[in-house]
Amino acid sequence: MHRRRERLGLVLGWLVLNLFWLGSCLNANVENSFIRTPSMLAPQGPAARHIAGLSWFMIILGTVIFIGVMIYLAYAIWGDRGYDLEEELKRPNEGNGIVLTWGVGFTALILVILFGANIGTMRANNQIADSEQGLVIDVIGRQWWWEVQYGDQGFEIANEIHIPAGQPVTLRLAAKDVIHSFWVPELGGKLDLLPNQVNELTLVADKTGEYWGECAEYCGTQHAKMKLVVIVHSEQQFAAWLEHQQTVPGPPEDELAVEGQQIFLGSACVYCHAIEGTNASGDLGPDLTHVASRRTIGAGILENTTGNLAGWIVDAQAIKPGNHMPPMDLSGEELQAVLAYMKYLE
Amino acid sequence: MSVSIPANPEDAGREKRPMEDYKNPHLDPSDTEQLLKYPVQDDALSRQWDDPEPTLIGRLSALQNDTIGKRLIFTAFGFFVLGGINALLMRIQLAKAENTFLSPDAYNQFFTMHGSTMMFLFAVPIIEGFAIMLLPFLLGNREMPFPRLGVFSFWVFLFGGLLFYASFLFDAVPENGWFAYVPLAGPRYSPGIAMDFWLLALGVAEVSAIAAGIEIIISILNMRAPGMSLSRMPLFAWAMLVTAFSILFAFTPLFVASMLMETDRHFGTQFFNTEAGGTPILWQHLFWIFGHPEVYIQFIPATGIVSMIVPVFSRRPIVGYSLIVVAIVATGFISFGLWAHHMFTVGLPNIAMTFFTAASTMIAIPAGIQVFAWITTIMRGRPRWNTPMLFVMGFLVIFVLGGITGVMVASVPFDSQVHDSYFVVAHFHYVLIGGVTFPLFAAFYYWLPKWNGRLFDEGLGKLHFWLMFIGFNVTFFPMHIVGILGMPRRVYTYPAGIGWEPYNLISTIGAFMIAASVLIFLVNLIRSMQSGAPAGENPWDADSLEWKTITPPMPHNFSVLPIVNSRHPLWEPGGTQGGTESTQKLVNALARWPTSWRAAMVTSTLEGKPLEIFRVTEPSIWPFVSAVGLIIIFGSEIWSLRWVAAIGALIFIASLIGWHWPKTSPTSQDEEDAFAREHGILVRSYGSRTVARNGMMLTLLVFGVGLASLLFSYFYIRLENPVWPPSGFENPAWLLPLIGLGLWLVSLIPSSLSVRAIHDDNQPALRNHLLFSLLLAAMGTGIILYVLLTKNYTVSDHAYASLFIMIEGFLAVLMLGGLGMNLFVQFFARRGLYSSGRYIAVENSALYFTVIAVFGVIILAVLYGVPYLT
Repeated sequence: MHRRRERLGLVLGWLVLNLFWLGSCLNANVENSFIRTPSMLAPQGPAARHIAGLSWFMIILGTVIFIGVMIYLAYAIWGDRGYDLEEELKRPNEGNGIVLTWGVGFTALILVILFGANIGTMRANNQIADSEQGLVIDVIGRQWWWEVQYGDQGFEIANEIHIPAGQPVTLRLAAKDVIHSFWVPELGGKLDLLPNQVNELTLVADKTGEYWGECAEYCGTQHAKMKLVVIVHSEQQFAAWLEHQQTVPGPPEDELAVEGQQIFLGSACVYCHAIEGTNASGDLGPDLTHVASRRTIGAGILENTTGNLAGWIVDAQAIKPGNHMPPMDLSGEELQAVLAYMKYLE
Repeated sequence: MSVSIPANPEDAGREKRPMEDYKNPHLDPSDTEQLLKYPVQDDALSRQWDDPEPTLIGRLSALQNDTIGKRLIFTAFGFFVLGGINALLMRIQLAKAENTFLSPDAYNQFFTMHGSTMMFLFAVPIIEGFAIMLLPFLLGNREMPFPRLGVFSFWVFLFGGLLFYASFLFDAVPENGWFAYVPLAGPRYSPGIAMDFWLLALGVAEVSAIAAGIEIIISILNMRAPGMSLSRMPLFAWAMLVTAFSILFAFTPLFVASMLMETDRHFGTQFFNTEAGGTPILWQHLFWIFGHPEVYIQFIPATGIVSMIVPVFSRRPIVGYSLIVVAIVATGFISFGLWAHHMFTVGLPNIAMTFFTAASTMIAIPAGIQVFAWITTIMRGRPRWNTPMLFVMGFLVIFVLGGITGVMVASVPFDSQVHDSYFVVAHFHYVLIGGVTFPLFAAFYYWLPKWNGRLFDEGLGKLHFWLMFIGFNVTFFPMHIVGILGMPRRVYTYPAGIGWEPYNLISTIGAFMIAASVLIFLVNLIRSMQSGAPAGENPWDADSLEWKTITPPMPHNFSVLPIVNSRHPLWEPGGTQGGTESTQKLVNALARWPTSWRAAMVTSTLEGKPLEIFRVTEPSIWPFVSAVGLIIIFGSEIWSLRWVAAIGALIFIASLIGWHWPKTSPTSQDEEDAFAREHGILVRSYGSRTVARNGMMLTLLVFGVGLASLLFSYFYIRLENPVWPPSGFENPAWLLPLIGLGLWLVSLIPSSLSVRAIHDDNQPALRNHLLFSLLLAAMGTGIILYVLLTKNYTVSDHAYASLFIMIEGFLAVLMLGGLGMNLFVQFFARRGLYSSGRYIAVENSALYFTVIAVFGVIILAVLYGVPYLT
């Protein structure tokens, strides 16, 4: 009797665990001022929605099959039958029918159904890719940040992608150094960024908002801190944003910012960073032309506040050890001036 | 005819133990029933078969299949503990958001070491250890076919593993994951020696796996008990047969890929460099052509273990034996056709992805067959709940769920979301821990009592099981959820407030439960070895042959080889007797003669008919020495110390010669002939033709798979380059290499004539033909080497140049090996060693020459032909 209870516990524990799983997926999103949970089952675009539908179908079907097999196992263990080894030895093929019916027939049936659902989803998502598209954005993976080029519009940003709501946008994905992978779970599946090949991904978001993304292919020391944000605007907002990004900032007027610009242009900063309208044209780090308008610092690591920016400039290694930005040896006043200049670059 | 063979220095320092040691301590002299069962000549056989006196040299030479098997199992288990410690450190780091317990680099190093250890240093070696320990018993024979190869395999594995972990001493721990994608792992983004530790130390471990694979195949195909036809073979042997073949076909491409990357790093080749015509995706293909079958290389033997344990504890023959065999074979085949499902996010064509989806889901059918066969066996039987059976139950529950998520991730759209997320981490731990580690623990509880002579404590065993089962699910179930919530793999930390914290904390708690359960197992193991209840001969009332021997088994396993006429020899009345009268006479005679050399039986592959009585090699120090040589070659390359590598190569070659040094027979020719005539069986006191020939063919198969991997690389890179040969290269001049190959082809004539000469026992003709074939082949090899060394480009000019020189160099090395083999045979032919009764070495050398000629034709056709087809 004791043994039986043990076995019953085994099966029951499993059912409970499955419920736990289903329940928590439903309440996926934990809102936070800075970050939101990037759940693939809380889709915000058609591609992700198709996949979420397929996922639910497979999760439910899988759970039903699992429970069914466990019930058969329980029956096999507890069901009372006559038994005789001598007899069984004489009939080695007894039971083959069950194995063939369920192991082959039933399994194959399920696989055919799943294969159909899978093909259907693939086709639906391919249709999104084939739909008419306007905007083309180049996304270049770097160790450990994202270079985002609006080539037709003639500007470059980093670690965030701005798109208009409801319109398909083509991302041309490539890598400058090692392999990375672009993944924004709420908007769709991932696709790799390769050094010798351009992969195209169609991105569509239903409505305005911010969606969390990340690098999904291990790319070295700071793979964990290679995040990005997709910011979805309404059509008018997006047009305004484009226009703003296209303007080249003039020389600052504020005295502190002028000093900051001098420090910036006279230091090592220019070897890695570019600012339109100045001599700074480095290509190793993000373009800073409109740095103050960005949402995050350090590839989605910190919210873009003056304090965080100060910490990043002084010692980026403490925040994201191993990244390619060296610590800057600036006095307090110099730092304030540089910060003022950065703040000016809106 | 006088045969004078110089003595082999290997015999120095190895002494057989004194005869008194072989009065079997387990036998009670007053128990007449036992004495009838284990007659006196056991002592002489035991002494003949036992490992040498346990001095240092004696220990290094030991080659008993149970010795080597146990060493492999316990060494691999040691690596399992190390890999587990890596995992615990990772789980501590991830227990809370933005934790600083580990630095990013340290975390990356630990996940790399964890994955690499579990895949290369735990799962495959422990399975090969169980196979080497068990197979001769399960199959009813006395040894493995190449005991020295087993010894070599063990030492090479141990040295490779130690070298891998030595990276901690040099502060150069690899940190690019067990998959080591380029360009991240290439020379530009991973300078330093860490990646070289990964490539070279694990490369050595791959050699070990391949060596053991060859031995396992021959053991299963040709060294079974009389009467054990393929259809009566235990399912574990079926599983190991498919697994061992998979090892040859999977580990060889990985070894080739590792060498390509190592030459990229140290010799300036450009296989994976996009700036010189190479492509990083080639690495992914080669890696996953290995990497996916690798999963089944672990899983198939685990199902074999389950198929042995379920019927014993259900007290019912397994349901659907032949269906399971079909399922095992099908799994082995299909597993090679679905590697690209690891590459669904690379941007492959849709049609290719659809194909790989279909292949990946199809593998669920053989899995379904096995699951239903096991459950139906339980249903038709009367289950008993000892610890091994509990672990099998845990396996069934966990594996079914892991299989279901496996079918899910085979879907391209679903995989595009969960790929490289924690969902996948959860999935493969369900199939690898649930599907492999649980059955392995079942195997420990089931089989170790036979070899230790003492049972495990059932209470501790059950505690171990429940803690591990619950701990496992607590650890890995939440990972499904956190993966769906967007947590990627291989991240050393994650931001606070993103909603992943509780799941990670639960996982960490579960990981410690698993660790505690492994500690309980260790306590149980030590306790059972010291004070466990005596196991007796057949504690589980099992049906297979290993339970027929005394516990612990004698060194020669069986005095009288069992005759098998049933799938369940120990369950059916008369299951190990019967057979024809002549077979009975043979096995009885074999218990008395010979006692001066280690005699094992070769049986036919299909029917298990006795074919040969042959001499299995004795203990020798040379396999150990050659393992030392090999590790020196690979280890020194980490620091590019080429002169040290040269010393290693000398040691390796010298020890190979010592290893294969022929021996004279302790029994007289007349004695052997008399036995052969009386029993109508071949007696080969120097080694079996079947075993040697199959060994050579499998070795050549490995070379062939290596060549196929190189040619795959060639054509893959060819397709990546629109112009071929690339600009700056002329079409290759084919005349000279063609002459070189032609000379080698002509050398096949005297080489095949040498085989005819030895069959006719024509010694002068043998010597002449061997000499002619050597001269012709040497000239051919010389020309190929000349062509290779006088190119007007270097390997670093372009991937085309790298491929050309690498593949032609491969041919040159194979040819040089052939020359060496010919010289070896020639040396002994001139001393009159070979005769019409002893000709295997001559045959094998000729076979090698022929196959290398075929390789040569293919290689030159590709290298010198393809550039003209533009």
